[in-house]
Amino acid sequence: MALLEIVGLKLFYKSLRGIVRAVDNISFQLDYGEALGIVGESGCGKTSLANAIMKTLPSNIDKYEGKILIEGVNIVELTEEEVRRKIRWKMISMVFQGAMNVLNPVIRVGLQIAEPLIIHAGMNKDEAYSIAREKMKLVGLHEELFNRYPHELSGGMKQRIVIAMALVMNPKIIILDEPTSALDVSIQAQIMNLLKRLKKELNLSMIFITHDIALASDISDRIAVMYAGQIVEIGLAEQILLSPKHPYTQKLLKATPRLRGEEKPDFIPGTPPDLVNPPSGCRFHPRCPYVMEICREREPLDFELERNWRTKCWLYGGEHG
Amino acid sequence: MDRELIKLEDIKMYFQSRVGLFKTIPIKAVDGVSVSIVKGEALGIVGESGCGKTTLARISLRLLKPTSGRIFFEGKDITDVDEKELKWFRRRAQAVFQDPYSSINPFMTVREILEEPLILHKVGDRTERLELISKALADVKLTPIEEFLGKYPHMLSGGQRQRVGIARALILKPDYIAADEPVSMIDASSRAEILYLLKELQEKYGIAFLYITHDIATAKHFSNRIAVMYLGKIVEIGGSRELVNDTLHPYSHALIEAVPEPDPSNRLRERRVLVGEPPSPANPPRGCRFHPRCPYRFEPCDKDEPELKEVKKGHSVACYLY
Amino acid sequence: MAMNLRESLKEFWRLNVSKVGLIFLSMLILASIYVVASYPLDFGVRYWNNPSYWADYPKSAPPAWVNLISSEKAPEHYVLTYTKPSNITLTGTERKLSYIFEIDFQADRPPSFISFTILDITYHERPSTVKLSVLRPDMKNIEVYSFIVSGPYLGEEPPYRRYYDQPKRISITGDMLTATALSRFLYREYNVTLRPSEVNSIGQHKILFSIPVRDREFKVLKGQYIFTIDVYTYNPNDEVGEVTLVIGGEVYGVMGTDSLGRDLFIGLLFGFPVALFIGIVTSTITTLLGAGLGIVGGYLGGRVDEVIQRIADFINNIPLLPFLIFLAFILGQNIWILVFLLVVFGWPTLTIIVRSMVLQLKSGQFIEAAISIGAPRWWIMFKHIFPQVAPFIFAQLIFFTPTFILLEAALSFLGLGDPTLPTWGQILEYGFRSGGIYVGLWWWIIPPGILIIWTAITFVLIALGMEPVVNPRLRKIK
Repeated sequence: MALLEIVGLKLFYKSLRGIVRAVDNISFQLDYGEALGIVGESGCGKTSLANAIMKTLPSNIDKYEGKILIEGVNIVELTEEEVRRKIRWKMISMVFQGAMNVLNPVIRVGLQIAEPLIIHAGMNKDEAYSIAREKMKLVGLHEELFNRYPHELSGGMKQRIVIAMALVMNPKIIILDEPTSALDVSIQAQIMNLLKRLKKELNLSMIFITHDIALASDISDRIAVMYAGQIVEIGLAEQILLSPKHPYTQKLLKATPRLRGEEKPDFIPGTPPDLVNPPSGCRFHPRCPYVMEICREREPLDFELERNWRTKCWLYGGEHG
Repeated sequence: MDRELIKLEDIKMYFQSRVGLFKTIPIKAVDGVSVSIVKGEALGIVGESGCGKTTLARISLRLLKPTSGRIFFEGKDITDVDEKELKWFRRRAQAVFQDPYSSINPFMTVREILEEPLILHKVGDRTERLELISKALADVKLTPIEEFLGKYPHMLSGGQRQRVGIARALILKPDYIAADEPVSMIDASSRAEILYLLKELQEKYGIAFLYITHDIATAKHFSNRIAVMYLGKIVEIGGSRELVNDTLHPYSHALIEAVPEPDPSNRLRERRVLVGEPPSPANPPRGCRFHPRCPYRFEPCDKDEPELKEVKKGHSVACYLY
Repeated sequence: MAMNLRESLKEFWRLNVSKVGLIFLSMLILASIYVVASYPLDFGVRYWNNPSYWADYPKSAPPAWVNLISSEKAPEHYVLTYTKPSNITLTGTERKLSYIFEIDFQADRPPSFISFTILDITYHERPSTVKLSVLRPDMKNIEVYSFIVSGPYLGEEPPYRRYYDQPKRISITGDMLTATALSRFLYREYNVTLRPSEVNSIGQHKILFSIPVRDREFKVLKGQYIFTIDVYTYNPNDEVGEVTLVIGGEVYGVMGTDSLGRDLFIGLLFGFPVALFIGIVTSTITTLLGAGLGIVGGYLGGRVDEVIQRIADFINNIPLLPFLIFLAFILGQNIWILVFLLVVFGWPTLTIIVRSMVLQLKSGQFIEAAISIGAPRWWIMFKHIFPQVAPFIFAQLIFFTPTFILLEAALSFLGLGDPTLPTWGQILEYGFRSGGIYVGLWWWIIPPGILIIWTAITFVLIALGMEPVVNPRLRKIK
């Protein structure tokens, strides 16, 4: 059994303009110790997917359905109280986008790490503090930073604190939503090295959400490419990066400027679709160079290319097309 | 050699930062930079946040007056010229900004945004102006033109807004454009499109172009030369390809090493990274500013600052290794 | 996100408070338009604060509609005026101009007095004769009063004009001629003997409107009374200007009268345009000045900003009301001085807020973009900064309006209002000063208070309705 299995997950919001189909029928699995990269452009629904898995939902929900099984327990059906008691922090935790700004500026960082232990696990202070110190060491921070305030730390250090907070109750899965987008490349590389180490040492499963497919390749065993609320291709990193099948994946890879080699970056004409009113048929068809008649009319099914490698594209539909 | 269009000479820019109630300390955002751009050339300035690259771009447009140093445009010193006598320069030097959302006035239509520079510089009458606007929109490929003229910024996507920003920069037919991270807020799949557009227009009109970015990979593809900045100084400058393929300065090396490329084997190895983070520009290290993080530091590095020296033709570096 | 005008209006209209506010505002505006169109501009001096104009009116009379709720009906007050005769009868060269006043009298008490006035009589040969007679509901006719217009002076040439600057006012009540006529009438019709002096002490008006029941006791006679004033003229060119009959009552009009007999309805109505004028004009000037200084100070910075901010701080920290009273006292009571003072003390709050908004906008990239294309400073302030703060400024304009209406009322209430322009505050003030509140003249005190509050609420409702337009975070998701 997989650690995390998501089947037919949907998360729609209500907005002034209509229903936002942020997560539209997504399925995938995550194994123990595995890192899954979720790659997509802004507005493709990747952050909503993370919120759906954490069940941290805003109030304007229109639809939230499907299955999210963590070791067989379906989060979708749990009450908020049960999720808080059994799942969040303990089974699965999250590092939010721009997380450095979620630190409370007037509380010492060490206490912020220890807080969930005291509140959720009911530990006494000394125990909680010693665990917090341990976690700080784990993410490569010196213990003496325990009593500092957030503004006394650099961006990279704050990001490490936030990761330590996510790890404090030893979750099995950690969701990282653009954890390095606010950092400079040299600091980004440090954080990525830290994540690699944590994954290996703690056998941690990760969902790494990013817009940068190159950055995703830095940690992901498998990569899922999202477009307009759907996963259009998912497979092993080698499969996705070396022989991408979906035209969007191919284009996205070509749009990444290469530092080594002379290949000029390419781009995808047009703009990402509106999640309120997505295009008919295949949602990528208005921007796709290989668009066929069927693409405009029917939404492509998931076609399995190899074991664990599937894509939503009529080019691989064979008899269906 | 080509005539230098814009030339910055030993530019220093210190900002006063208040510490406590009465004390202020200088933040040395730019600390002794000399660089020039010839007509039709694209110079990329690469560096991490706080290295002074944005400040340098603003000084090159005389949006800031430097603390010391001189700015020359076509040989004319414009460092201390009064804003009122700078109108000719404002017409010939333009800017493209980072944030397509905040760099254009949300209350003006595309037409009004593009007409504003023409009105300010008294170019043409109404019909002539409309012609110029249409041409600029065609240049940035916002077609059909009639459809975009009456639109407000909130009806456009980020990429389209940035094209409006580029059209505004082009409409006065400038000789020099400084672009500060023009694509960092644009979707990854569209970035190259905007950069190609800029490059095409720059080459078509022979514009000298300053491209400020944190992304050395795009700088390599879209500029002729690259200057790498660290803590207010240029540490290495040279032809783009040469600088990337034959990197000299240890900091440039680290910067290049840190950039990931989509390669499945990445995940299996740790990247070689710099230790620590850049120190504060208020209090830069003695000697070579990079020495505390440099894996190759030796004797002289913590004593005197290394000068920027030309070690190969057109390729200079400020490092004692060379 | 910026909204265009149509979206803004739609958003505004979505709220009920906006609708109610707009309905109220249109009522205020309609009343004001009516007043401005129909009242003379010098209404305050010529009528309101001119006691002789109100001489015919009952003093401290409650509104007429109190009769609907009280068991004993009080007599209503009538002031009836004709400028043209109802009837002209020709007999040879004699011309009789008849002015006929019909009164349906249903009160349980007799009127409090009766008088009539003649304004502007012109004769050429013989002086005109004026006669008043009354036909009562019991069909009995009484010749009440007659007089002859005073003859020519020595050496006066025709035409002879009389009573043209000041009307001839004849009070039936207290008139001995009338008393004699009534004494005869009582004896003739009811065989009641009352000497004229006794008639006078009972009251001519009382006897005229009743029938005797026992000795010296009278019962009010209800029904249709017809008062006829006949003016006999003897030359075709003779003219009569205006004839007025006043039946003194205890209740008057829609809103009653004050202790000077002034019709409160007219005064309160006149208050509408004055309140709107003071509120809107002061608020507009204040907002423009405050926003202008805020934008200039915020954008230019430096010494200009410093000076503006220090002045704003200074004015902001002066205790407003005592200082206003002091200044209004020194500078005199004139509406323009009042507006000036309110503006002087009103702008700093807005300046401080707008300045902080501008400081934030100033760092926006589009400002730098404008500088880089060579836009001068005034251009940037006008074209780029002003439109961004305009919705807020407009909301403030609405929001300031009730403040100034209330401040004006407060100053008027303290006796510092402009005496040439009656306002609600002044009516209220006179009500307090002349003790109206202590003797329970509620119709004098409550309506101006309600009107002041109502007008203030109108603008507050509109301001509330505008809040979501100006502050997008308050917008509801449908």
